[in-house]
Amino acid sequence: MVSELIAPFHDAVTNREANLNRLASEGNRLMGYFCTYTPIELLHASGFVPVRIMGEAPKVEKAYNLVPDFICPYLRKAVERGLEGAYKSLAGIVQGYTCDVTCGLVDIWKENMGGEVFHILPLPYLDQASSRSFLRSGITDLVEKLSEAGGAYSEQRLADSLDLYAGIRSRIASLYDLRSRRFLPITAREFLIVVNAFFVTPPERYLAMLEALGQALPEAPPLNGGIPVLVSGSLVEDPDMLGIIEESGGIVVSDDLCTGYRAFSPVDGHGNDPVERLIDRTMNRFPCPTRSSAEDRIPRLLSLMERSGARAVVFLVQKFCTPHLGDLPTVREALSRLDIPSILIEIEEAGTMGGQNLTRINSFFEML
Amino acid sequence: MEKSTKSKKRLETSRELPLIIAQYYQECHEAKARGIPVGWMPPMNGGIELFYAMGLQPVFPENWSPVCAAFGLTGRNFEVAENMGYSRDLCGYLRNIIGYVHGMMGEAGNPLGGLPEPDIMLPPLGGCAPVMKIFQALMRRFPGAKVFKADMPQVAIEDIRRHHIDYAISEMKRLIAFLTEATGRRLDEDRLRETVVLSDRACELWDEIMAFRRCIPTPIAASDIGIMFVMVTRQGTQIAVDYLTKVRDELKERAARGAGVIENERVRLFWDNIPLWYNMGIFNYFEKQGGVVVAETYSAAWSLRLDTGNPLEALALKTLMSYPLVSCVSIKKRKEMVLKACRDYAIDGTILHRNRSCVPITLGQMDIKRELEAIGVPSLIIDADHMDGRNFSMAQFQTRADAFMEMLLHKKGFSL
Repeated sequence: MVSELIAPFHDAVTNREANLNRLASEGNRLMGYFCTYTPIELLHASGFVPVRIMGEAPKVEKAYNLVPDFICPYLRKAVERGLEGAYKSLAGIVQGYTCDVTCGLVDIWKENMGGEVFHILPLPYLDQASSRSFLRSGITDLVEKLSEAGGAYSEQRLADSLDLYAGIRSRIASLYDLRSRRFLPITAREFLIVVNAFFVTPPERYLAMLEALGQALPEAPPLNGGIPVLVSGSLVEDPDMLGIIEESGGIVVSDDLCTGYRAFSPVDGHGNDPVERLIDRTMNRFPCPTRSSAEDRIPRLLSLMERSGARAVVFLVQKFCTPHLGDLPTVREALSRLDIPSILIEIEEAGTMGGQNLTRINSFFEML
Repeated sequence: MEKSTKSKKRLETSRELPLIIAQYYQECHEAKARGIPVGWMPPMNGGIELFYAMGLQPVFPENWSPVCAAFGLTGRNFEVAENMGYSRDLCGYLRNIIGYVHGMMGEAGNPLGGLPEPDIMLPPLGGCAPVMKIFQALMRRFPGAKVFKADMPQVAIEDIRRHHIDYAISEMKRLIAFLTEATGRRLDEDRLRETVVLSDRACELWDEIMAFRRCIPTPIAASDIGIMFVMVTRQGTQIAVDYLTKVRDELKERAARGAGVIENERVRLFWDNIPLWYNMGIFNYFEKQGGVVVAETYSAAWSLRLDTGNPLEALALKTLMSYPLVSCVSIKKRKEMVLKACRDYAIDGTILHRNRSCVPITLGQMDIKRELEAIGVPSLIIDADHMDGRNFSMAQFQTRADAFMEMLLHKKGFSL
C-alpha cells in the first residue's frame, strides 16, 4: 500500500507499459536507455521521450535463449520484458558507455527486439580539456544519428531540456535534503517509487507531479526511531527491498544508488553553451563504480553519511555486478576501519528479499 | 581425462615456447635488477611498443594468470582473494592476480621467478570492468609505482571515427610525456618506427600462420595456440618476428607434405571464447573421434596491420581496437568473425564456451549460434570458466562433447 501522495508515481511505475503505449499512440517517440550516464537531455531536445528500460519481470524464461544466467538479474529481467513486448513502443536505445554487460545488451536488443536507433556514446574518464572536446564530438555524432531518425535538435531546445531536467533534479534534491534531516514524511519504499517514476514518465509531466507532491507534503516533525542507514548499490527496482530495511529497524536517510542519488547529482552543469553545460554535468557526476575506483567513492560515501547522520551502510548489489563487487572489499574495509557497520545483500532474480537475507538484515539491525 | 591437463602439442616450434617464456620472465627480473623501469600494463595495447622503443620493460599481470593456471597455482590465489572479500562471481583473472600479489608473490619458489614489482603502472580507463578493477587493486598494493591513467574511447570497431583516433593519439602523446618524465628516457622516433615495423611484421606473420589453418588436414590446431605468447608479450621485438618466422616455416613444410595435427582428421571444430587455461588438454579431447579444433576466437585478436608510416597513429589505433575484444564488444563484428572463420577454415561444428569469467565475450553467443545454425554449422555450448576450474564439470563436458562429435560424424557420413 502507498499513500495518496504517492499514487500518481505508483501508477507511473506499475502501469508504465500501458502508459508508454498510450504515449506512443499519441504520436510521441520514445527512446530507451539503461543507464543514467545517458544524456537524456539530448534525447529530449531531439524530440524523444527518454524511457529507462526497467526489469521487474516476475520470472525469467525466454531471456535465457539470449543471455547467460550469470549477468545481473536486472538485465535478465529487462530482456525478458523486452521479449514479452513491453518495450515495443521504443524507437531504439541510446546508452552512455558504462557497464560492459549493459552496453553489450544494446546489440542484443537491436538484433532481437528491433528498433530504429541504437547508439552507444563513449564517455571520457578523465576531466581534461581534450576529454571535454572529445565528448563534444561524441555528442555531435549522437545528434546526427538522432536527426537522421527524425530528431529535431537545436541548441535552444537543448537549453530548454537542460532547464527542465535541472528543475526536476533540484526538486528531488530538496526531497533528499528533507530525508537526510529526517523531515521527509514518506517512507523509503515510497520515495523509491517517486524516484523510479522519473525514469518512465515524460519530464514535463513528472515535474508537475513533483510540484504537486511538494505542495501536498505535510509539514512533519522529524522522524524518530530507526537506525539511520545509507543504502549503496546499483539498481533497486523493488521498493520492498527498502521497505524491509525500514521494517527491520532501520531508516534510510541517504543513498548511493543509480535509482537514487547518483541519478540526480549534480542538479546541473555550467557552461557557455548548452552542450558545454551538458558536458560539465556529465564530468561532475557522483561517480558510479564502472567509471571510478573505490578510492574515488569512499570519501563521497562518508560525506553522504556525515550529512545524513547515517550510522551504517546496507549494500544492495545486483548479483554478478562486477563494478560494485570489485569495489566492495576496499569500501567495506574503509568503513570497518571507522567502525561503521555494513552488510551486503545481493539482489537475486527472485527480487524481493528472501528468507535468508531477511534474517540477516534483521540480525544486522538487532546487532546495531 | 583429468580436470586439469596440458595440451598435446604437435609443432616442433611449440616445444621452444617454454624457453621463450622463461627468457621473457628472466628478462623482466634482470631489468628490475639493473634498474630498468618495469611497467605493468594490460595486454594488446600500444603501450607495449612504446615501452620496447624506450628500452623499458613491459609486464602483463593478465598474462600471468594463465601462467598460474598452467602451474596449478590458482587455488591458493583464489583463496587469498576470496578471503579478502572478492566474490566468486568476479572474473577469475581478477581473483587470481589480486590473490597472487597479496599472497605468494615474492615468496621463494614462484614459477619463472614470479612477477617483478612494478615501477610504473598503466591502468586502463575503459577496457573491461574486471581489468579496470584489477589495476585499481594493483595500485593499492603497489602505492610506490608511478601511475599513468590513459583515457581511451570505448567504441565498437565499426564505429571508430576520426575524432576517436585523434583523442587516442593525444592520449598516446600524454603517455610519452609521462614516460619521459618518469624514467628520464627520451623516445627516439626512429626507434619507435623500427618497433612498429617489427610489430606490424609480427601481425603479418600471424596472419600467414593463421592462413595455414585453411589446409585440410590442418597443420596447426588450437592445442598449439600457446605460440601467441610472443604476440602478447613481445610485440615490437625481433624475438617475436624470429619465432613467428620459424613457426610459419614449419607450417609451410608441414602443409607441403600434407601433415595434419592428427592422422585421420574427420571433423573440423571452432572454439569460441577464451580457452580453459587450467585445461588446455581439452583441445585434444576430440581427437579420439577424429575431431580437431582448427581455430578459435582468441587468435583473431592479432589479425590487424599497423601503418608503419604513421607509428603513433598506428599504436593509438591498435589500442582502440584492443578495447572491443572484451569491452564495447560488437556482437555484429563477433558474428561476422565467427561466420568468416567457419567459411575460411571449413568448420563442421563450433564449441561455444559459455564463460563465467568473461561476460562481454559470452554475450551474443546465442545470436551467433542461431546464425551458425542458419548456415548449417551445429554448435555445442559448454559451461565453464577460463580460470576457475570449480566452474567446470569434466564429466558433463565429456558427455556433451561425445554426443556432439557423434552427431557431426553422422552428419558427415562417417561410421561411428
